[in-house]
Amino acid sequence: MNTDQAFKNKLRRAVPWGRAVMWAAMAAIVLLILLSIYGAFLGPERAKQLFNGIPLAVYWVVFILLLAVGIALFRRLLRVPALLLVHVGCILVLAGAMWGSQTGHELQSRFLGIDKIPTGQMQIYEGYSDNRVISQDNQVRELPFHVRLKDFRIEYYKPGKLRVQTRQGEDRTFPVEIGKRFSLGPEFGALEIVRVFENFKITIDGDNKTVIDDPDAGSNPALEVRIESPNSQAATRYVFERFPGHTHQDDGLLLSYERVISDYISELEVIRDGRIVARKDIEVNHPLHYGGYHFYQHSYDDQAGEYTILMVASDTGLGLVYGGYLALCVGVFWRFWPPHLFFIARCSVRAPRRDSVTSLEVGVPNFRNRCGADKFTEKGSKTE
Amino acid sequence: MEIKHTIQGLLIYLTIAAYLLALLASVLRRPRIGHALYVLGFVLAAISFGYRWYHVRHVPMQNLFEVFLCLGMIYPVSLFCRHVLRVGGQSADMLIGAVVLVPAGFIFNAEPQRLPPALQSYLFAPHVAVYMISYVFMAKAAFAAVLQLAGKTPAPQENFLPPEEATYRLIGIGFPLLTLGLVLGSVWGKLAWGDYWGWDPKELWSLASWLVYVGYLHFRYMFAKRHPRINSLWAITGLLVIVITLFWVNLSRLFAGLHSYGAG
Repeated sequence: MNTDQAFKNKLRRAVPWGRAVMWAAMAAIVLLILLSIYGAFLGPERAKQLFNGIPLAVYWVVFILLLAVGIALFRRLLRVPALLLVHVGCILVLAGAMWGSQTGHELQSRFLGIDKIPTGQMQIYEGYSDNRVISQDNQVRELPFHVRLKDFRIEYYKPGKLRVQTRQGEDRTFPVEIGKRFSLGPEFGALEIVRVFENFKITIDGDNKTVIDDPDAGSNPALEVRIESPNSQAATRYVFERFPGHTHQDDGLLLSYERVISDYISELEVIRDGRIVARKDIEVNHPLHYGGYHFYQHSYDDQAGEYTILMVASDTGLGLVYGGYLALCVGVFWRFWPPHLFFIARCSVRAPRRDSVTSLEVGVPNFRNRCGADKFTEKGSKTE
Repeated sequence: MEIKHTIQGLLIYLTIAAYLLALLASVLRRPRIGHALYVLGFVLAAISFGYRWYHVRHVPMQNLFEVFLCLGMIYPVSLFCRHVLRVGGQSADMLIGAVVLVPAGFIFNAEPQRLPPALQSYLFAPHVAVYMISYVFMAKAAFAAVLQLAGKTPAPQENFLPPEEATYRLIGIGFPLLTLGLVLGSVWGKLAWGDYWGWDPKELWSLASWLVYVGYLHFRYMFAKRHPRINSLWAITGLLVIVITLFWVNLSRLFAGLHSYGAG
């Protein structure tokens, strides 16, 4: 009897239907690989539609059932806690994702009376509060509490940069440091940054034009730059962040004021029944969690900085997903690392030569073998 | 392709030279000299990585240039595989070290970049680092799989595992790291973008690479070593998908998505 036959017989006796389930699992895995690659070509939006469509919903349900049937059929999965954790972890992740999906929310609303907004956006002006959310399907829904925007601000890395390009193709950047003189070479002279504006404005009083940094609402970042030509003639140039790259006829230099955003911050307060029940300065990577929702910094008023746009996401199913992640990670490390790191090195030295193995237990898991995962592999190469 | 006339560039070129000379010495059966040059290459790679860190003032794993600098420090993994896992292939490691530094030295843009808000997270370094380490293990596993397909076996006096078992053991170490990388990325996505899964091309390629190794493990469970060539093909396919995930997705406009800032 060859090894294939021995494996088939052993597996058939040990796990009725086991072989069919394993092949079904392999087919499901290969199908998901192909779908993932196909989805990567579609782009996020179309891929999301594909994986949330009815055919794939059926696939996810079958996948969960397959995992559950596998756990029920294969005693090995129940006896080896690490393997059990891995497979249960996968079920939890998929179940949590389905529970928290748009369809999951609709079913909960219909059958359990839980009415939550799956995901949406809020636009809130500084100093105002709101509870209206534009949901993903463009419906206006209301939260059971209000969110107030105390302040919105953008922070930048310091110093900013003044970029100078010449017609000859030279490209140089200088840090924005007031009063410091930078040489542009013998052909162009030197420059000095005189003043930095957050909100550049010109006031006109008769014939007098005055440049001011307006403290009122608005945003027009700019630099005042003094350029000294090689023949010692000085000229003042204003460089605007929002209007980069104006070339001046006199000196032929193209100047740009560049800043890199380091953070967007919305100072939020949650108001319920007239009382402030939570407050947080949210920024990217630091959302606010309240009342079963997460609030994320999503976008902002890029003209005047007067409002923020928050993304609102329900936390339904998140606990299941994170529980699944934890089980999956613990299980997979537990399954693979201890055998390979602590037992294998010793065992491998004593590992029998291939041609010395005589066992017929080919392909059959041996739980007592301490030399690592799937120890039938230690014996599997021998044919009688 | 451009030569970098900077200290960073010089360090990269010296590291490549040290790795290639180490490989040459190994091929010429001068193991001590080869090992010394390999260690020298690692020290240079570590200095190069540290220099970059000092220069950009954040963990240098933001783009492909920095990621490949990190991958150039392959020596500790090589040492670990040799002494703990009983897996050889040190010469291949020297070659991998040199090869991954070539794009960093000649192709990728080394212009320092500020971290955008989304990357300012405590999960940034662990997520990328865990993935990089797992990729090195998977690359070694694929190399062992190629040896298996070529019918090579280690010399008896070296006491290393046969290639098929070496492949399995390396994937056994790399797969949990790959899983952790995927999970950390998902948790980070939830914090930064509001969803733990955005169906982004990079996410889908990462899932595909993870699933290829899931397929390998299930196939090996079903058939053990009775189809070693198919086992090896799974491992090689896994590395191919990883390479696509790492390279193509970041570079090609075809796959523009949330991870596009990582382009080199």
